[in-house]
Amino acid sequence: MTLLDVRALSKEFGGLRALDGVSFTSGEGEILGIIGPNGAGKTTLFNLISGIYPPSAGEMSFQGKSILRLKPHQVSRLGIGRTFQIVRPFQNLDVETNVLVAYGHRFYPSLWKSAGPVRQPQFLKEVQMLIQRAGLQSYTKHTAKILPLGFKKRLEIARALALRPRLLLLDEPSAGLRFEESAQLMELIRQVRDQGIGILLIEHNMQVVMDLCKRIVVLDHGAKIAEGSPEEIRSNSLVIQAYLGKET
Amino acid sequence: MLWQQLANGIAIGSVYALISLGLTMVYGVLRILHVAHAGIYALGAYVGLLSFRLIGNFWLSLITGMAGAAIAGYMVERFLYTPLLHLPRIAPLIVSIGLFTALEEAFRIVAGPHTLAYNARVGLGDLSIGSFHLTETQILILFVTFAILTFLWTFLTKTRTGLAMRACAQDPETTSSFGVNVGGIIAVNFLIGSAMAGAAGVLIGVYDNQVWPTMGSIPAYKALAIVVLGGLGNIPGTVLASIVVGLAETFFIGVLAIPFPRDAVAFVAMIIVLMFRPYGLLGKA
Amino acid sequence: MISGYFITIFITIVIYAMLAHSLNIITGHAGQISLGHAAFFGIGAYTSAMLYSEAGFPFWISVPMAAAVAGIVGALLGIPCLRVRDDFLAITTMGINFVVEAIFLYIPFFGGAMGIGGINLPKWFGREMTKPEYFVLILVVFLLLLLLDRRMGRSWIGLAWASIREDEEAAGAMGVDVVRFKVLAFILGSAIAGLAGGFYAHFLTFIMPQNFGFGQSIVILSMVVFGGIGSRWGPIVGAVILGILPEVSRPIMEYRILIYGILLLGMMRFQPGGLLGPESILSKLFRRSVFRPGARGESQ
Repeated sequence: MTLLDVRALSKEFGGLRALDGVSFTSGEGEILGIIGPNGAGKTTLFNLISGIYPPSAGEMSFQGKSILRLKPHQVSRLGIGRTFQIVRPFQNLDVETNVLVAYGHRFYPSLWKSAGPVRQPQFLKEVQMLIQRAGLQSYTKHTAKILPLGFKKRLEIARALALRPRLLLLDEPSAGLRFEESAQLMELIRQVRDQGIGILLIEHNMQVVMDLCKRIVVLDHGAKIAEGSPEEIRSNSLVIQAYLGKET
Repeated sequence: MLWQQLANGIAIGSVYALISLGLTMVYGVLRILHVAHAGIYALGAYVGLLSFRLIGNFWLSLITGMAGAAIAGYMVERFLYTPLLHLPRIAPLIVSIGLFTALEEAFRIVAGPHTLAYNARVGLGDLSIGSFHLTETQILILFVTFAILTFLWTFLTKTRTGLAMRACAQDPETTSSFGVNVGGIIAVNFLIGSAMAGAAGVLIGVYDNQVWPTMGSIPAYKALAIVVLGGLGNIPGTVLASIVVGLAETFFIGVLAIPFPRDAVAFVAMIIVLMFRPYGLLGKA
Repeated sequence: MISGYFITIFITIVIYAMLAHSLNIITGHAGQISLGHAAFFGIGAYTSAMLYSEAGFPFWISVPMAAAVAGIVGALLGIPCLRVRDDFLAITTMGINFVVEAIFLYIPFFGGAMGIGGINLPKWFGREMTKPEYFVLILVVFLLLLLLDRRMGRSWIGLAWASIREDEEAAGAMGVDVVRFKVLAFILGSAIAGLAGGFYAHFLTFIMPQNFGFGQSIVILSMVVFGGIGSRWGPIVGAVILGILPEVSRPIMEYRILIYGILLLGMMRFQPGGLLGPESILSKLFRRSVFRPGARGESQ
């Protein structure tokens, strides 16, 4: 079932076209790869979807409803979670509290409900489950600041999962990770997909992309230049051109 | 009558420009609201007055006022702001507020709480054409501000350092990767901005014939409102906003005689403009 | 019997503690800069004063109204304010302080430069309260406020505030309606400042515009900064210390403003966390006083 439908999405920043007429769809239980050379507009795409700024043109809808003018907290409450390219957990809060922040999304809309106490056994139990799924249980009470990078990334995913999302936007999760850390993270991502959650994955690590994704969208200079299976993408001359051209 | 008000408005507006430019330049490179700048302005007035008492020459007192202010501004940057750049921006802001408060008190303690006279004369005499009348001090103001602003414009557009300064205000990181000594540029920013504030202090001190410890209070608020009105960090915007406020104050009070506190005009103007242009007249996101 | 002089100091300190605490809610919990807090103090004081002396309302109504009016103004100003960036907010709050003070000063309805007088201590049991009784009253109210604050700290609201303070954008992506919670902090902070204003008016028996200008905002800010922005007890400790010092030492009283200025300067430059902040010398000795939501091991 289609979760996300993006049509002719464009974004201009004062004369600079960061995204130009991009269209694609993404469904549940699939990992859609978004790749492209630096500056292709991938993170801009995520920022548009998650509501950080509005598009200059185009449409996006989630589960059939337009998400065009929504603010970030509204987007996340609808069921779209995300992680960030430069990882940003709540540094001075511990792991459990980090996840609790996102877990609280079900209370925030109501002032009355928001006044209720946080540390109730059943909330803590559910949060603990999420933490365990991400393999962070031994760090539950540790401040996010001190976690090694790989664990911070897992924390971001656990946090996003607390939103009970149908769609997860992952921005370069394997960046900066060593091989084993990356492999473990990929395993976590696969598990998330297996639960039926749709995933949009921005990645630079080609190995990871080819491994995880059945479908890939390629962006260059803000426009979509290719879409297809890993094999198709690998042999697409436009794609090769885009990457090689950048290396010159 | 109209010309008179126009001249008054431009005179006062150009002094506002001298003060506000330093503020906007500092914001441009450091993204700090340099509230203490108004203290530097008052310091310029006091130093100028001191040297005028000792030497008796307006021009020399102007130069010493500017120099004193420039040095003070530089020290603020070096010892107070730059060491705090790694902290959230509320920290240097609070430091600045603390410094401003301390400065005003220091003036009061050292020079006394009363207003001091600063009656410098240059020997020009006033200018009268029919009902149009410019006092000598107004002429001085127009002349000095015009000279300083012209110098600034030439410096920013025609010299390498000026170009580096403008680049820095846009993007310090990229600029430094081009081999520009960003630290040095920041220092120059402060030196020039503070010198201009010092000049404004001397000019206002002479114009009002008054120098007093809290003379920086109103300019502190006003310059901030002007800078936001024009667009934080935007130099032409600040000049424009300064003139606008100067003219607005003169016309609202002088011509329309609205019983409205003159000093609130700048804030009201700022709020009105922000409603339509959230980043100021010439500011960008 | 405790002399009237000391009671006066104690009452003043509780009022300042309330003010510092209320500013801490805005600046510390929600991470928002407010440099014009005295404006709400003034709005509360004037509301209470005018309801009492012009409209004849008793203390028990005028003071809660003071809090309500200050809170409403806080909401009205907060909503547009909080949509703008950090720096703009700082300037805007300064501007608000300036405009509010000007209104009290220039508009005759508010008594002008002479202010409003003839405000008395509250009546109960058929007689006017004594100062010691008044002190107990406001102390009790203050303690209730602290309890409320503690309760909020443990709620989802407190959590939302903590996340906003850490990283606004990430908080938004996690479902926190950032603007709404910031406005809430603003309203709460203004209302409590207004409450303090009401208590102040009835205690001082006359109020003048100058009490509520930028200088006063600086005093309150100094207490918060000195004690530690965001820490639970910091601002209160700051209020107590800075409230007592000028009273016990003549020279300190003389140079009070200078000291506040240097304090702000010095603290931010060398101990930005304040006396009871997480990195301070004192805090390393007294770990348990620091309020850090989620950092287990620290008590709440």
